[in-house]
Amino acid sequence: MTTLERIEKLFVDKLELNRDLLTPQSTLESFGIDSLDKIEFLFALEDEFKIKIPERDVKIDTVQDVVDMVDRLVAEQSAAG
Amino acid sequence: MRRVVVTGLGVISPSGNGPAELFDNLMAGKSGVCRISGSYAEKLSIKIAAEVHFKLSDYVSRKTTALDRTSQMALAAAAQAWADSGIALDDAGKVRAGVYLGTGMGGAQSLDEVTTQLYKEDKSRVSPLSIVKIMSNAPAAHISIGYGLMGPCLTYTTACSSSSVAIGEAFRQIKYGLCDVAVAGGTESIVNYVSMKCWESLGVVALEDPVDASTSCKPFSKNRTGFVLGEGAAVVVLEDLETARKRGAKIYCELSGYGSTADAYHITGPTIDGQERAMKLALDEAGINADSVDYINAHGTATAANDVVETKAIKKVFGDRAYRIPVSSTKSMHGHLIGAAGAVEFVISVLAIRNKAVPPTTNLSIPDPECDLDYVPNAGRTGLDIRSVMSNSFAFGGTNAVLIVREF
Repeated sequence: MTTLERIEKLFVDKLELNRDLLTPQSTLESFGIDSLDKIEFLFALEDEFKIKIPERDVKIDTVQDVVDMVDRLVAEQSAAG
Repeated sequence: MRRVVVTGLGVISPSGNGPAELFDNLMAGKSGVCRISGSYAEKLSIKIAAEVHFKLSDYVSRKTTALDRTSQMALAAAAQAWADSGIALDDAGKVRAGVYLGTGMGGAQSLDEVTTQLYKEDKSRVSPLSIVKIMSNAPAAHISIGYGLMGPCLTYTTACSSSSVAIGEAFRQIKYGLCDVAVAGGTESIVNYVSMKCWESLGVVALEDPVDASTSCKPFSKNRTGFVLGEGAAVVVLEDLETARKRGAKIYCELSGYGSTADAYHITGPTIDGQERAMKLALDEAGINADSVDYINAHGTATAANDVVETKAIKKVFGDRAYRIPVSSTKSMHGHLIGAAGAVEFVISVLAIRNKAVPPTTNLSIPDPECDLDYVPNAGRTGLDIRSVMSNSFAFGGTNAVLIVREF
C-alpha cells in the first residue's frame, strides 16, 4: 500500500470517515475532526508508520499534508536510526 | 415545594432499545440473557451475560473516537429521552438544566482494553484519549456538552443503586428549586473479560442453566444462584411540573418520593432495616401510605441473601398487604445492569403505570418458602389499576435507594 492508502485506511478505521469523501485535497476541517480526534489520529499515525511526530500542534490542513508529513518523518527518522 | 414529573424516556438494554420495545419484550417474558459473544468467554467459568445491540449512529450523529461504551450507550439513551420529551431550551433554560448519571464501574471497557495492550500485547504506550474514555463522569459530561446543559453535571457511584440515586438526587434538586430540568439515569458496560472475571470470583453471578442459558437468573426461586451481569443505559427527562405545563409537555407520571439510606453494616451483605427505612422514607416523601402502592419493581437480584432480605423488608413496610402487591424482578430477563439497573427499572416502573400492566418475574418455578410474596411468576399481567409504583435498588456498600412514581 502507498502512504496515501495507508493513511486513508487510518481515517476510515480510527475516525469512522467515509472513504468516498477522502481525496488528497480534502481538508481535515471538512471531516468535522475536533482536537481530540486529531490527537488520536496523530497517535495512530505514529503507530502505523513507527514514527514520532515531534509537535502535537503540527499544521496539517489536507490529507496530502498528512502524507507529506509522514513521508518526511519516515525519511528523517529512518535515516537517523 | 415543587412537583417533579417525568416527560421523556430512553433505554438501551438487553431486553430492547427504546421504552416500547423493552416493555413489550418484558411482558412477553423474553430474556436478554445469552452466551457471551466475545472470544474471552472461553476463559470464564460462567459464560453468560445480558448484552445490548445498538449503533450510536442510529441515535446521534457523532464519532465514537473518544467515547467509551458507557458514554455511547448513555448518549443513545439520552437522545431517545430528549426527543421523547420534545423539550427545547433557550439559553436561560439551559443554565437551569442539569445532568445526573449513575455508573458502577465507569469506563471499565476502555480500562480493560488498555490493560490488555500494556500487559498482554506489551505495548509501550496507550491512546492519549484513554483517560477521557475511562473517567466515570465522561457519560454525564458528553450529555451536558451534547445538549448544552449548564446546570449541575454530576455522577453518582453507589454500585447497584447508582442510577436510582442519580434519579433521586435529580428529583430533589428540581423539587427544591436548584434546577428546572434534569437529564437523569445511568449507564454500565461491564461485559468484558476483567469485569466478568472479578464478578465471577465474588460468587454472586448465576450459574448457567444447563438446559436453557436464557433462564439462568431465577429471582425468588428456591434454585436461584445469583444474577446475570448485563450492560446498558437508561435516561429520563425530569421537569418541574410548572415548567412542563408551560410548554405543554406530555407527562408520563409524577416522581413523588425518594428514600436514601445506608445499612452501615457490611460491604456486601444487606439488612432488612436499611431497606425498610429506605422504603418508608420514600413513602413518606410521596405522601402516600402502604395501601397505595400497586406494584413493586424489586431489586430482586436472585442472590441467596437479597431475595430473602428484600422479601422480609417489604413485609415489614407493608404488613399483610405485602401479600396482595405484585412484586416482580425484571432482572430475570434484562440481567443486572449494576449502575444502570435502577434507571432501567425506573423506566419499567413508569411504563407499568402508563400501560396498566406488570411484567413478570420469569424462571420462577420452584418457590422458596422464605420468599412467599406475589412475584408475578412467569406471566405478565395487564388491565391492572396501577397508580403508584415503588422501585427498589439496594447496593453493595449498603446504599439503598427507593423511588416512587405515581399516575399524573
